[in-house]
Parts: sequence; structure tokens; C-alpha cells
Amino acid sequence: MDVSQLKIRQLREMLDKKQISAAELADEYIKRIKKYDEKLESYITVTEEIAKEQAKTAQERINAGSASALTGIPIAVKDNICTEGVKTTCASRMLENFVPPYNATVMEKLNSENIVMLGKTSMDEFAMGGSTQTSAFAKTKNPYDLNRVPGGSSGGSAACVSAGLAPAALGSDTGGSIRQPAAFCGVTGLKPTYGRVSRYGLVAFASSLDQIGPIARDAHDCALVLNAIAGCDSRDGTSSRVAVEDFTAKIGMPVKGMKIAVPKEFYAEGIDSVVRDSVLSAAQKYKDMGAEIVECSMPSLKYAVAAYYLISSAEASSNLSRYDGIKYGHRSSKGDSYGELVCNSRSEGFGEEVKRRILLGNYALSSGYYDAYYGKAMALKQKIRAEYEEIFKICDVILTPTAPSVAYGINENITDPVKMYQADICTVTVNIASLPAISTTCGYDAKGMPIGMSIIGKHFDEATIIQVADAFEKNFEAVPPKMV
Amino acid sequence: MDLDMISYLAKLSKLNFTEEELKKAAADMTSIIDIMDTIKEVDVVYNPLADNKNMYLKDLREDIAKDSMETEKILQNAKHSDNCFVVPKVVE
Amino acid sequence: MYIPVIGLEIHAELLTKSKVFCNCSAEFGGDQNSRCCPVCTGMPGTLPVINQTAVEYAVKAGFALNCEINKFSVFDRKNYFYPDLPKAYQISQLNYPLCINGNVPIEVEVNGEKIQKNIRINRIHLEEDAGKLIHDDYNGVSLADYNRCGIPLIEIVTEPDIRSAEEARAFVEKVSLLLQYAGVCDCKMEQGSLRCDVNISIMKPTDSQFGTRAEIKNLNSLKSIVRAIEYEIKRQSKILDGGGKVIQETRRFNDNHGDTKSMRSKEDAHDYRYFPEPDIVQVNFTDEDLAEIRAKLPELPEKRFERYTKEYGLSEADAKILISQKTISDFFNGALEVYNNPKSISSFIIVELLRRVNLGEVSMDNLPFSSKDFAVLVQMADEEKVSKNDAKTILRFMVETGKKPEEIAKENGFLITNDTGKVEEVIENVLSANKAIVEQWLSGEQKVFGFLMGQCTKELKGVCTPKVVKDSLEAKLNSMK
Ligand SMILES: [Mg+2]
Ligand SMILES: [Zn+2]
Repeated sequence: MDVSQLKIRQLREMLDKKQISAAELADEYIKRIKKYDEKLESYITVTEEIAKEQAKTAQERINAGSASALTGIPIAVKDNICTEGVKTTCASRMLENFVPPYNATVMEKLNSENIVMLGKTSMDEFAMGGSTQTSAFAKTKNPYDLNRVPGGSSGGSAACVSAGLAPAALGSDTGGSIRQPAAFCGVTGLKPTYGRVSRYGLVAFASSLDQIGPIARDAHDCALVLNAIAGCDSRDGTSSRVAVEDFTAKIGMPVKGMKIAVPKEFYAEGIDSVVRDSVLSAAQKYKDMGAEIVECSMPSLKYAVAAYYLISSAEASSNLSRYDGIKYGHRSSKGDSYGELVCNSRSEGFGEEVKRRILLGNYALSSGYYDAYYGKAMALKQKIRAEYEEIFKICDVILTPTAPSVAYGINENITDPVKMYQADICTVTVNIASLPAISTTCGYDAKGMPIGMSIIGKHFDEATIIQVADAFEKNFEAVPPKMV
Repeated sequence: MDLDMISYLAKLSKLNFTEEELKKAAADMTSIIDIMDTIKEVDVVYNPLADNKNMYLKDLREDIAKDSMETEKILQNAKHSDNCFVVPKVVE
Repeated sequence: MYIPVIGLEIHAELLTKSKVFCNCSAEFGGDQNSRCCPVCTGMPGTLPVINQTAVEYAVKAGFALNCEINKFSVFDRKNYFYPDLPKAYQISQLNYPLCINGNVPIEVEVNGEKIQKNIRINRIHLEEDAGKLIHDDYNGVSLADYNRCGIPLIEIVTEPDIRSAEEARAFVEKVSLLLQYAGVCDCKMEQGSLRCDVNISIMKPTDSQFGTRAEIKNLNSLKSIVRAIEYEIKRQSKILDGGGKVIQETRRFNDNHGDTKSMRSKEDAHDYRYFPEPDIVQVNFTDEDLAEIRAKLPELPEKRFERYTKEYGLSEADAKILISQKTISDFFNGALEVYNNPKSISSFIIVELLRRVNLGEVSMDNLPFSSKDFAVLVQMADEEKVSKNDAKTILRFMVETGKKPEEIAKENGFLITNDTGKVEEVIENVLSANKAIVEQWLSGEQKVFGFLMGQCTKELKGVCTPKVVKDSLEAKLNSMK
């Protein structure tokens, strides 16, 4: 049986109708992982034994007729989400052997649905990057072209879903880390509103921006996963008390009459024309469906990358200070004093990009520079937020490209950090403004590489962006990667 | 960004760099800071009140003591001895 | 001659049940790393969730120290590496602390005269305590115990208003009294629940600016505060007298040597890179919240002192003793509810109860009897239901057994009855039933008195004291002579 292109809903039906058992299903994916992942390198850890164990329990629940939406569904988990008893490395030498003694809240929620965990997926080290090439363990490739990057930082999650090595995966998104790899790998990725999903157990990169979200074959599947993981958590003081609705509720409702904003700065210089054209033609399709396309403006977009890197690096520099080699993580064999041991452990454990962000973050916060950098970036955050609010006064959703280009060649960008940072222009404002956004495929370039578009919604209005993305997906023929 | 500044940041960051690495870091940081400097032209001031999430006293966690985690699990990823984390001798 | 300019930072651990950002117990002690969880040991992915009571207690402390409360308060991260700080940052408050602009009156002596002086409070903020390092000399390493990590602390920062070691001592005593009254800290300096940093510089009376200050860290007794300040004044004076300059630095006080030493080794760069803690949302208060917290604050010592002296007419000396500990003052107040005789209750507390406390027989924290029982006893003595002397004995028994005073009095025959009719009647009966023995006594055999006495006492047990029996019996017999 070829499970590679099946969606959660189809798997659900097969499981419920006993056309396949949870164990057989898990096995199909494990077989695929064994077959393809040596080349793809999307997983850091494959949890075959756990998957078998969980499949057994899931099957009992299915047999008892009490299955919920995700019971028995195989899912991959980004390796920065803590899994009790299973290594959680953040793709860093620093946490190479870290085994969390606790589960992230999202894992507890998924486990209570009796999902089947396939493994932990690769990523950019500590989620810092957009290529998954800074991973210390698995430099994931793009399933559409193994010479290209899968995007990042949730590159492993996006690539494994794209290649059919999992029907869905959890990712995390700090500045585009779910949406951009989803776009590069031709799948759908959803970054929920900040506070929608508990961050407890998500190894922090930038606390005010991080959010866990699903990557799946389409928006409807994303909604199913989001249904399972969303909600207020007493262990995360920033998780929101806004009631969790059924995120599939609006699926199938017409987009007719809806106002879709197209802020011109997102389509300006710096965006490859193939991307721009593809997203604009998607806009045209929405227009054809009866939506109204509203041109608008986001004047502060040009400062967004700077504001994003200052805020995220500042928070990261603080969040990553806890890795001192004492409590967990890499401990250098050299260093007779605490200070030396800490310096050696950190210098050996962190990769180049992580070190760069720590330096930048400490610069932005250090005395004498705070006001000019961190303080100013926080002010810009408020300004960008306000500009979004202006647009949402008129419009229901906003349509933008997810990335300025399609997936690029491995090693093409990473030598130039500046170029790499600027490639985040399309995604970072969403995190800055705490908004939800979903990326789905809107076309392919001449070489067959997927192009992603993002639909940005109002705070806590995930249901609408899912509806809008789904409306497009229903009329779009996705082309699976050749490797499968 | 000069080498002094980079060295200072490295010290704050508790990171060691070779002379070579420091030079490269300084060059990288200089070009990164160039982009960051674009925000200097905007005239905005951060207003913490505008970020207020309206959390009140009653919304905070109730003061209830619960069981802690077993010491063994707390120490499972660490070099430990006598139920404690082992730290190089701290001289005060 | 130099004028010392002193400011204090007092760290007080709050008496919450759980830690400030997790549910681990905030109790003192415990086996090493037994009161820890992923949150308070700073494991990757964990998040702080702020304790409502910790915030409330900090505000309560603010009210006790006459502060204004910020209705919008923000938490910040203070970043520095030290092995007792697992996250490598301390969650604290910088620009929007919970409390600001307070003041605490202390009594100081100027030329032999006692005057009141206000020490201004700059701020009180809430933060987390760090862990403990144990120095394992045998293995040449240090061991980190994180039980104390995350115990809620308030940091009380004064303006540089203090001018002597004695003022500093009086201030710390006063603050710890107020915190105890507010019920937010037990202020046990020996257990580290109250610790003090001293900022001190000296200046000439003619100087218009303060001198360069040194900070002496972590003083944990009143005595070491006084000694450290006195030492610093001498040290800095010597430097200035010799034409030198005091350098701004952190110093540690050594209790054994009575001196302070520079702590240069601890940290090289003091750049804490404070920024707003993104994991904790800002805390707001409504007017009702604040009114509610204020209402929970018990009457503070000054108020009580005023009431005791003005309303109750107690001497200032006695009133001072009563308010010196909240437990004493509460006990006094409680006793008054049952027996409203302040002078009597106060003197029995001060003379009798506190004597037993000072003898170490019992502590005010865990008396085996209530203030109500105590009040009953004092009233019994006042109303001559028991003699003054017996009342003292009863108190001793109460301390030993926790029994009610009436019960002890009854059991031991301490009760004085006014029922002379009953006494007369019993004696009459006993004498007429033992005519022969009465004859013996009348004929001079005095030793039989004991027998007659015994008979009467048996009948009169719990009615009156043996003394009354004896006196009445003697009188009766003598009248028969
Ligand atoms: Mg402090
Ligand atoms: Zn804890």
C-alpha cells in the first residue's frame, strides 16, 4: 500500500473501517523512512519501538470505538519539542544526549489522543536558520530536489511530510520556521496565533515569538492537528484563554465577499518574479471565487527583518545562557573553573550560527546599546502590529508570498548571514504581530519547485485562514515530489 | 564593529573564539549591524503599557505546593554526586 | 571626620507555600535537590508561571513599608552566569517594580535624645532566590543544590538615608518587624530568610557629593551588618586620609576576621542586560485588588503601640515589649477579647508568661494554650477565685500540660469559694460525726487536727482552698474551747 500521499482524514477512515491496523500503518511509514530517509535526512531520531507500542494502544482504543481524530495517526515531531525519555537535541551538539524527564504540553495532548510518534525531525540548530543546514546531525534535503534545501528551521518536519515519511508533523515557528519550509517542500504549514498553543516543553529560541504548529498535506489536516494541540495551559503563562473553537468549522464555507488584502511591499523588489506572479495569480483565483482583492500598504515592512533579528537574538542570547554544561547538555572535558568550563562547553557545543545570534543578542542588550537596538526594535514591533491592525480594520485576511524565492541550492546562502536574514522578510512580521498564518502551495516554478503563499489572519482567527487556504487547495492540483 | 567590542560580547556570551574566528565574527557582525542600523531612522518609542495583556492578580497561579520531581530525574542529564550537580570548585 | 552614607538592599524570602514560578514547595531545607522540578532547575523548554500569593505578599510588604503600589508591574530578566542560577538569568523587576516610594520611621539617638527619622524606600520588587553551593573540599569540586532556586524573594531597596551602623541595625530590625506583622516573611536571619546588602560610602561634611561606594554582599545577622559597616567606615576613612581613592566594588564580609574583602573573582563584567521577561505577562491591579490586600494587612506595630499607650494607658516600656513580636501582641489582643483588662493582662504576660518564654520552657510560636485560656486565668486571679501565687503555679501547669486553668485549679484545690455557708456546714457535720476526736483535740492532742482537716478537705474539694478549710476549722475548734 502506498501511504505517501494520504491525508489524515483518509487514514482515519481506513483505521476506523479496519482496512488497516494502526500497527500496519505505523509500519508502512517506518518502512518508508528506512527506505528514503538515508538520502532525505529528515529525522534525527526514529522512534520505531515507541511507534509500535503506541500503535498497539491506539488500536485498542479504535477497537473500543472511542477513537478521536488523531488516534492511531502517525506523527513526526520537531526535535526541539521535549519528549519524555526520547532524546531532544535541537539539532545541536549541545543537546546531543539530552533526554528530557518530561513531555511538552503538546506531546501530552497528542498522547492523550493516542497518536503514533514516528520520530524527531531535523531542524536548524536551536531553530536558528531557514535551511536546516545548520543541523549538527541531519542536514535535510528537499524532496523535490535533493540538491536543494528543504527550508527551515522546521525543514525535517516539512520534508518528511512532503516525502510521505509522515502524514503530519509538528514544527515551530519563530520567524517563519513552519511556513517557509512548508512552502519549499510543497506542503501546508500553519503558524497559530501567539498563545494559541502552549510553549511548555518547546525549547525556547525567542520566547515572545515562538509558536508550535502543524505541517501537513493540506489545511484541513493542519486544522485537525491544531484542534488537538491548541488551548490554554496552566504551565505557560503566555498561553491564551481565548476559547478554542473547532478549527475545521469554516472549511467549505464560500470565500465569496471576503476581503483579501495584498500589501504592496510584500510584492516589491527582492521577491522573485516567479513567486510574485504565482501568488498574484492565486489572488486572481480568489477573485474568481468572489473574494475582493484589496491593495494596501505596510510601510514598516522594510524594518521588519532588523526588528525581528534584534528581538529574537536578544531573547535567544538569554534563553541559551542556561547551557553551561552543568545541568544537562554538552560538558567540556576541559576547564578547571566554572567560568572556563562554561566557555569551553558552550564553544564546543554551539554551532557558528547560534554563536552569531548570541553575540548579536548580547550586543542589542548590552549597556549603552539597549535603547538604540532592543528598545527601538520593541517599538517597531508595536508599530508593525498597529499597521496590521489598520489592514484588518478593512480586510479579513492578508495574502503574501511565503518566501522571496523557491528552495535554493544547498550551501548557496549560508555563507552570507545578511542574505540569509533578509530572506525572512515575508514571514517575520506575522510573529512580530503575534498573528496566525498558513502557507500553502500556489504553484511550481519551471523546474517543478513548489511556490508557497501565506494567508495571514486576525488574532485567534485560525478558522478563517484555514477556510481560505482550503478553498484554494480544493481547486489546486498538487504535484508530489519525484523521489516518492 | 571592532575586535574589542567583539571580545567584550564574547565574554558576555561565555564563548571562546580564536583570533581568526574573532576577526571573521567582527566582519560578519559589522555587516549584520549595518542592516540593524536601518531602524535608527524610525522615530518610535516603545510603550510598555501598549503591550499590556490585561492580566490581573486573580489570573495568576494559585499558591499550591505540589510534589516535586524525583531527584534522580532532575539529575539524569548531569554529572552529579551526593544528589547534587557537580560544579568545578567555585572560589569566592 | 567623615559622614557615612549608607543604603541597604534587604532580601526577604516570602512565606508562600509554593515557589514563585513553579509548584515546588517553598519550605526551608529538604534533602538536596528534592524540592526541584524542570521549571526551577531551568531545563530547556520550561516556563515560569507566577505565584499569585507571592505577588500579593510583595504588595502587602509594600503597604507595611508605606509604599505606593504600581498598578502596572513588569518582570525582567537579569542575565549573569553563576552556578547557583540555573537559567543564567534571574527573573526580577527593573523599571516597573511592584512597590515604590515608601518610608520607614526608625528611632535614632542624637546627643542622648531619641528622635524619629524616616528612611525612604526606593522600591520593593519581586524576584527569585538562587540555589546553594556546597563546597566539597574533599573532592575539590562544588556541589549545587537547587532547592532554594525559585523561592520568592522581595528586594527592598532604600535611599542612601542611613548614617550609621546603629541606624542600619534599627532599620533592619524595624523592617523585619513590619514584615513579620504583615505575615509575609519569618525574617529568620540565621536561616537566610532575611539577608542584607550594604552600600556604603563616606563623605566630608563639606562635600556636596556622595563618595564612591562599596557594596558589601550577603550579610545575614544584625551583628555582621553593624560590624561590616563599622569596618568599612574605618577602611574607607583610612584610604581617604592617606590621599587614596575608594574604588567601586563588591566586597564580602568575613565573620571570623571582622573585615571585608574584595570579590573581584566573582564576576568580571557587570552588564546584566536586563530586558522584559517575555515568558511572564505584566501584572495589573485594580483598586479593589489593592484595597483587598490592604484590608488583609493586620494592624501594624506603631498603631498598636499608640492604642496600647493612649487607649489602654499602658506604659511605653510595656507597650514596646508587647509589640516587639507580633505573636506577643496578637496574644495580648486575643486575651483582651475575653477579659478586657489591658493592664492586668499586660503585666501577667510581661512578668509571668515572658519569664517562662525567656527561661526557654515554651515559645510564643507554639504555646500549648490559647490567649483565651490565659485571659481566663488572669481574670480568676483578679477576681480572687485563685490566689495570685496559685495563678502563677497554674500558668506553669498550663505550660506543661496545656490544660484549661479552671481544670488545673479544680484538680489542685486552688479554687477559692465564697460559699462560707457550705464550709460551715461541712465542718459542722465532720465535727459532730467525730465527737471523740474533737474531744482529743480540745484536751490538747494537736496531732489529730490533721485527721479532721483531711475529712473536711475531702468534702470540700473543689469548693475552696485548703487554706480556707484550715482557717475555718481552726476558728471553729478554737470557739469550742
Ligand atoms: Mg536583586
Ligand atoms: Zn520547581
